[in-house]
Amino acid sequence: MIAELFYRRQALVLGTLSMIGIVVFWQIAVDTGFINPFFISTPSQVAAEFITQFEDGSVATNVAATLYCFAWSLGLATVVGIILGMLAGWFADVESALEPFIWFKYSAPTVAFYPLFVAWLGYGTPTIIAIAFLFALTPIYANTLSGIKNTDRDLARAARSFGARPLDIFLRVALPGSVPVMMAGLRLGVGRALTGVVVAELFGANAGLGYAITYYGQLMQTTKMMVSIVIVIVLGVLLTQILSFLETRTDSWRVDSNR
Amino acid sequence: MAQIEIRDLGIDYRKPKSNEVFSAVDNVALSVEKGEFVTIVGSSGCGKSTLLMAVAGLVSLTRGSIQIDGKQINGPGPDRAVVFQEASLLPWRSVRGNVKFGLEMQRWNGGDLNERAMQMIRLVGLGRFSDYHPHQLSGGMRQRVNIARALAVDPQVLLMDEPFGALDAQTREIMGTELLRIWERDKKTALFVTHDIDEAIFLADKIVVMGRNPGHIKEVIKVNLPRPRNEAILDSEDFHELRKRLRAHLAEDMSSMQLVQEVA
Repeated sequence: MIAELFYRRQALVLGTLSMIGIVVFWQIAVDTGFINPFFISTPSQVAAEFITQFEDGSVATNVAATLYCFAWSLGLATVVGIILGMLAGWFADVESALEPFIWFKYSAPTVAFYPLFVAWLGYGTPTIIAIAFLFALTPIYANTLSGIKNTDRDLARAARSFGARPLDIFLRVALPGSVPVMMAGLRLGVGRALTGVVVAELFGANAGLGYAITYYGQLMQTTKMMVSIVIVIVLGVLLTQILSFLETRTDSWRVDSNR
Repeated sequence: MAQIEIRDLGIDYRKPKSNEVFSAVDNVALSVEKGEFVTIVGSSGCGKSTLLMAVAGLVSLTRGSIQIDGKQINGPGPDRAVVFQEASLLPWRSVRGNVKFGLEMQRWNGGDLNERAMQMIRLVGLGRFSDYHPHQLSGGMRQRVNIARALAVDPQVLLMDEPFGALDAQTREIMGTELLRIWERDKKTALFVTHDIDEAIFLADKIVVMGRNPGHIKEVIKVNLPRPRNEAILDSEDFHELRKRLRAHLAEDMSSMQLVQEVA
């Protein structure tokens, strides 16, 4: 127990140290003239710029715009992915019918459909949500499907021996047994939804972190651009961590011994 | 009339991805009286589990019939409950939740579910563990939960499919004694499948010995050892005699299997 805790802490300590190492190296490399700050800025400049952007409200505007699209796309992907996944996991015919679309989704880059969405939905929020929705849909759908489909046969048989009807088996055995896999799908979906939003914003938006990245990128204002990149990274880590936490909460019965 | 009446039973399986038919059980006839504890013993592949699952209503019959209290069975029913070998507890439910599960599936309306579940949990000696989850329990404790779940629905017939098969020898012996203690209370009709000779004798009023290719009944042996029983009878003369007889049966099966392998 204690040893394990120590090792976990050790991993955290090492991870933090290497992060700090990179930041320090970055600062020194620029300060000593080893790298031109035009290409990469410096940590101290980025920090100062962050405060400026924070105070003038542009951080809040951009984060709000991105999170708005993120919430909509993830919400839609969760509802649609879980419903379709449950249907496909329970009815083999539905799975077969949906399979070509999933192959399609896996092999074709979603961004390629961007112009199509622009034609249908115009530039801006609806298109961004649509692209991010497609990004997030696949893992949520695929995990729900596999969770329901791989319902423990022994458990289903035991339920049937007590007179369970198919709906009982679905609601009381298949569904609760799939929750941890569905949560894992959701965690993947969170990361992909955020990626989808930022990528779509790069192409066309009037606010949002992705928009700020291209905007300042095109103006060659590296420091201002770096602020948004750092925010995107922090948001991504934060959201994924929240889901990981929820995942371990719902997964507690799957571990073999008390940890 | 007997409580369980099996006549001319035959169960065929179609091998997956071929039209070959494989007969798991054939020509089985068996009567079990109310309150009788019957063990079914045989080497692996003799169709003993298939027979039990057929009585449970989880396997469909190809030929013949199974009647419980004079009624033809048609799928699982509240008159029967099954104790499975292992891993049939819902891992996300507590001990109490698992014992309630059978009651919920049967739409039990004989009073408070929690009360009923707790009563059964105490009966199997897990009173202190009702809020534990299966992964926190030992194999023996899990099988106690399994037994409690089956008894909770108050079946006429208790069906057990090698319930102690995955336990170590010592735990298995303890569980056998425990099972008899619980069974003595209301003496429900019991069918118990095992491949363990001592277990088969220790528990039984009647031992059904099965052979293979296809699964059939070789002999039905009456056990006249006095009840209530404890480990002491394992050393009795009668017990030794029965053990010798069962060994001879199983040895015969093993040698015939070797013969088949040599020919093949």
